[in-house]
Amino acid sequence: MGSSAEIGPSKAFTLHLLCSLGLAAAYAIARDVFSWSLVTHPAPTLRLLFVVHAPFVVAAYSALRREPDHCSFLKAVGRGLLAIPFGALLNAFGAIVLGAPVGISYLPKTIYWSLIMSLFTFVPAACVVGSSRTGWQSILLVHSKPIEELDCMIILPAYGAIIGAWLGAWPMPLDWERPWQEWPICVTYGAVTGYLTGMLVTPVFILHMRRKARVKDD
Amino acid sequence: MAEKWRMIRPFFLILALHCLAIFLYTRGFLLTRTELSSFSHCSDASPCSHPLNSTSHSDPFRGRDRDHDQRCWTRPAVDRVVIIVLDALRYDFLSPSTFFEEKKPWMDKLTVLQRLAAKEPLSARIFKAIADPPTTSLQRLKGLTTGGLPTFIDVGNSFGAPAIVEDNLIHQMVQNGKRVLMMGDDTWLQLFPNHFKTAYPYPSFNVKDLDTVDNGVIKHLFPSLYQDDWDVLIAHFLGVDHAGHIFGVDSMPMVQKLEQYNSVLEKVVEVLKDQSGRGGLHENTLLIVMGDHGQTLNGDHGGGTAEEVETSFFVMSLRSPPPYVSSILDHSTCKLYLEGEMMCTSSMQQLDFAATLAALLGIPFPYGSIGRVNPEIYALSGGTWDGQWTEMRNQEHCSDLEEWMQNYINVLCINSWQVKRYIDMYSSAAVIGLPSEDLHHLGELYTQAQANLSNSTSSTCSALTLQRQIDAYFDYLGSVAKLARSAWTEFNLILMGAGLFVMILSIFIQLFTILRVNNLLELHYLVPGITSNPFRLVSALALVVIRAASFLSNSYILEEGSVASFLLGTTGILNLWSSIRTQKFTIEEPAFLFLNIFVRFGIMIGQSKKGVGSTSLNAHFLSSLDEGYTVWLILLEILPILVLSLLAFLLFRWISNSSSWRGFKYFYLVGVVGTYMLIVFHWISESNLLAIPLMLQDMGKNFAPRIVYAIGFGLLVATMLCQNVNQKGRASSPIEQITAATVAMLCAWSPTILILLGRQGPLVALVYLLGAWCIIKSQRGVQMEAKNGKEALVNDPISIAQWSLLGVCFFFYTGHWCTFDGLRYGAAFIGFDEFNIVRQGLLLAIDTFGVLHIIPILSLPLIVTLNHCYSKHSQVKANLFLVLTQVFMSYGLITALTTTFTIICVTIQRRHLMVWGLFAPKYVFDVLGLLLTDVFICFASLYYY
Repeated sequence: MGSSAEIGPSKAFTLHLLCSLGLAAAYAIARDVFSWSLVTHPAPTLRLLFVVHAPFVVAAYSALRREPDHCSFLKAVGRGLLAIPFGALLNAFGAIVLGAPVGISYLPKTIYWSLIMSLFTFVPAACVVGSSRTGWQSILLVHSKPIEELDCMIILPAYGAIIGAWLGAWPMPLDWERPWQEWPICVTYGAVTGYLTGMLVTPVFILHMRRKARVKDD
Repeated sequence: MAEKWRMIRPFFLILALHCLAIFLYTRGFLLTRTELSSFSHCSDASPCSHPLNSTSHSDPFRGRDRDHDQRCWTRPAVDRVVIIVLDALRYDFLSPSTFFEEKKPWMDKLTVLQRLAAKEPLSARIFKAIADPPTTSLQRLKGLTTGGLPTFIDVGNSFGAPAIVEDNLIHQMVQNGKRVLMMGDDTWLQLFPNHFKTAYPYPSFNVKDLDTVDNGVIKHLFPSLYQDDWDVLIAHFLGVDHAGHIFGVDSMPMVQKLEQYNSVLEKVVEVLKDQSGRGGLHENTLLIVMGDHGQTLNGDHGGGTAEEVETSFFVMSLRSPPPYVSSILDHSTCKLYLEGEMMCTSSMQQLDFAATLAALLGIPFPYGSIGRVNPEIYALSGGTWDGQWTEMRNQEHCSDLEEWMQNYINVLCINSWQVKRYIDMYSSAAVIGLPSEDLHHLGELYTQAQANLSNSTSSTCSALTLQRQIDAYFDYLGSVAKLARSAWTEFNLILMGAGLFVMILSIFIQLFTILRVNNLLELHYLVPGITSNPFRLVSALALVVIRAASFLSNSYILEEGSVASFLLGTTGILNLWSSIRTQKFTIEEPAFLFLNIFVRFGIMIGQSKKGVGSTSLNAHFLSSLDEGYTVWLILLEILPILVLSLLAFLLFRWISNSSSWRGFKYFYLVGVVGTYMLIVFHWISESNLLAIPLMLQDMGKNFAPRIVYAIGFGLLVATMLCQNVNQKGRASSPIEQITAATVAMLCAWSPTILILLGRQGPLVALVYLLGAWCIIKSQRGVQMEAKNGKEALVNDPISIAQWSLLGVCFFFYTGHWCTFDGLRYGAAFIGFDEFNIVRQGLLLAIDTFGVLHIIPILSLPLIVTLNHCYSKHSQVKANLFLVLTQVFMSYGLITALTTTFTIICVTIQRRHLMVWGLFAPKYVFDVLGLLLTDVFICFASLYYY
């Protein structure tokens, strides 16, 4: 567990900056190269976001893998890639439970959206933890013990993305008749906003934790 | 016993408070008007100097060309009337664009009428007609023909069927020998089922169809104009209304529709003018082109905004009045018309339509009319200028104008007398009368006007005196209209505020009671009560508040079912998440999510009927099935029966496993299984698949359901008696006893609710049971070690919120929604063919609120009892009732909170255009639901404690 202790706020910030840059780059490519936007071409834009963002996330979190001596970087990448469809399935299921429309015309959008949500929520944890049961428990049971900085980096953006997506669904029934109220556009906006907020908050949170720990030590 | 009453008392206090709050608020918000069943008759004697009666003494030659019996209140001034109603005709559709700041694409399309009004100002004129909200077609037609102000709820004996029972223009026309020909919108036939001599109705419900109604009207209109077998022709075009609903006002289809109407009207005017010569078919015909209400730029209507209430009214008399008419007409709003001529328009109230038309046709005014005879329209028809008064009052030589004014004063006299008669009658007969000081003031105005009449104007020709007399009558009639508007269309904000205040007060009392019970639990039993898990308490509260706050927007009210299932899904995900985190993963949590998907699609299907009209979709669905899918048809018939058997089997298993029933269990089993078999029999006899003897079919259709209701009621009574007996000797553990009592209660209710729900019933019940089971099983930390080492119960707030959300979801799943067309009227007639307001109302209420409130409340104790091992500990017993009180109170709080938000929303949106279409029905549903919730909670507390 040596590696996790060494993550400082600056490292967390750099890493999250990298992930955000991936997202921003994808958005810029969609807008400037293809002149797509989420509203006009939801499915291709989501696909592009996913394709560009995936390597950033997988690489960044695989570098933070637990027990780096026993587990090569490639192995971490491999399990990260494997986790993508699983996470997507879980997210798609959640969305459908909450009322996402189903139908042939929505199928590609839902698939690409859930793939992106998988990158936000499930993949980082899979890259870092892999199949170790204790690792997952340490992520899930944040309340029961002092939180680790690495867990923090996984959990906060993921929570942010989920809560953002949940809130993003709110404007959908309103009768404003704007194109962005369609599934999954505003939900994606919400999720990305929540994700970025979570990543911004993480270094601050880590800094705060360190200060608290130092006070305790004194 | 005292202990028991102490726990029950708060429920009754809450019930009383809610009754008070709802009474106050409803008095202020839901304006009611009582429909009187009196009718006007020709023979009614008015105190006015009746021109025809008096002339028949002095001059035997008067009116020799008319049948003596046809003479009535006023002298007929027109022979025939052509009324062309263009639905949702905005004022700016007809009025020239020079009257507005800016010319919009939809303006100046009805150029025929504009040119007529400009070129022939003495016989044709454009009016801005102000309608009174609610501006929906049905209410407006009712208002136009009765001359009254229809309110949201007209207290009368029309339940479901909208036919007008009040006196109205069409009734008077028919009674007085006018032949009415109707074509177009079939709403007219709903309102007047058997008044028309001939009718060509076309269906109005398909909003997407712009042409069927209009083409049908055009097909019949022109041939009819050449015929003489009618006196009043009503042609109701719908295209503009539908084009507005679908495309909006600023759209190509709208412009096309208006251009089409222009050409139609051009031809109509041509035909009428061709035959307007002396002795012609239309020598003395009046042409009216009018809208029933306006519309917003989006095509909505129903509310009270200027765009919706301002509609056009065009009138043309084929027999021109003398030029003096121009001194009667209003010249205050004149603008330059496009072709360089001056054109004047006036403003009128739609309220006056019935009285004016009745005066022109010479028929009695509708009994409930409170409008006045509009002077301009009255003057425009040439027949009112016939110099028949000279013969009567030949002692003075009055000018034509003064004679006309005398005639008009006489009409106004009759008009005022009729209005006064109605107001007096109404205040003595109505449920909620009019304020007495206002009535007194009106009485004074009337006496004053009458006194003037007899003093000064009976034999004078002075225009000034006559005008003063006209003004006196206008004053009286205007005051009546004002009073009627304030009583029937304006809200009483003070009463509304008081109601809201009491409502909020009751919420605080509920919160206080819950907290007090919590304190008791903490003090005596050393368990933390409902606050045991702050996170779950906060999230449950947040969900309830989110749902309640969602009622502030009309979009969320429309999508209420989806919102409820969204929140229910969220609770399911929260439960699953926390079960993963605490590593107490059970199969119920994912199962609940799958059920939620199922419910969600059910809601989608249930609500898809909403837009189209519930009958048409079903018919369409079945007809598409008919084409060779008999297998599916049979499956559709058999599936409910199979599911019902499964339900009966589950019930059997459950009851026979429980030990606390003693001998009663066989009684219940026989009763419930027997009713289920009767339900199956009823369904089989309703379907067409099996050829059953006619007698059996009749029995299955009507007797089987009645027996089911009777057995259900019998079981209910038996259950309550048993519970009383049971309470004497508490042999088994209290938890087990309450479980048994709850199951018995549900058994007693289930047959009635199942048969009312129809074939979807068994599946709904099964999914409901599974959902409820999952909720119960996924509760967290409800049984805990108290600090003194003994066992005690606590509540899980999330599961109570889920319980209420589940009821809401199933309300929508079973095809209900919160408007009056969302009531399943068919359910009220299961087992009965004829209508009885109490019986059918009761059945309808059970069907509507069955899954929404009745079942959830009566089964609430299961939340507490099913999760515990049956311990006989005495502490658990006492603790149990406190926890039950908390559960009932929390459930009541959830309902009260959502209702309070509905009330707040209705208060804020009371001027919203959808207030009568959406918010008010929602208010009625929620308020009825809340009262029912309170009543059933009181009932349940009496029964279970």
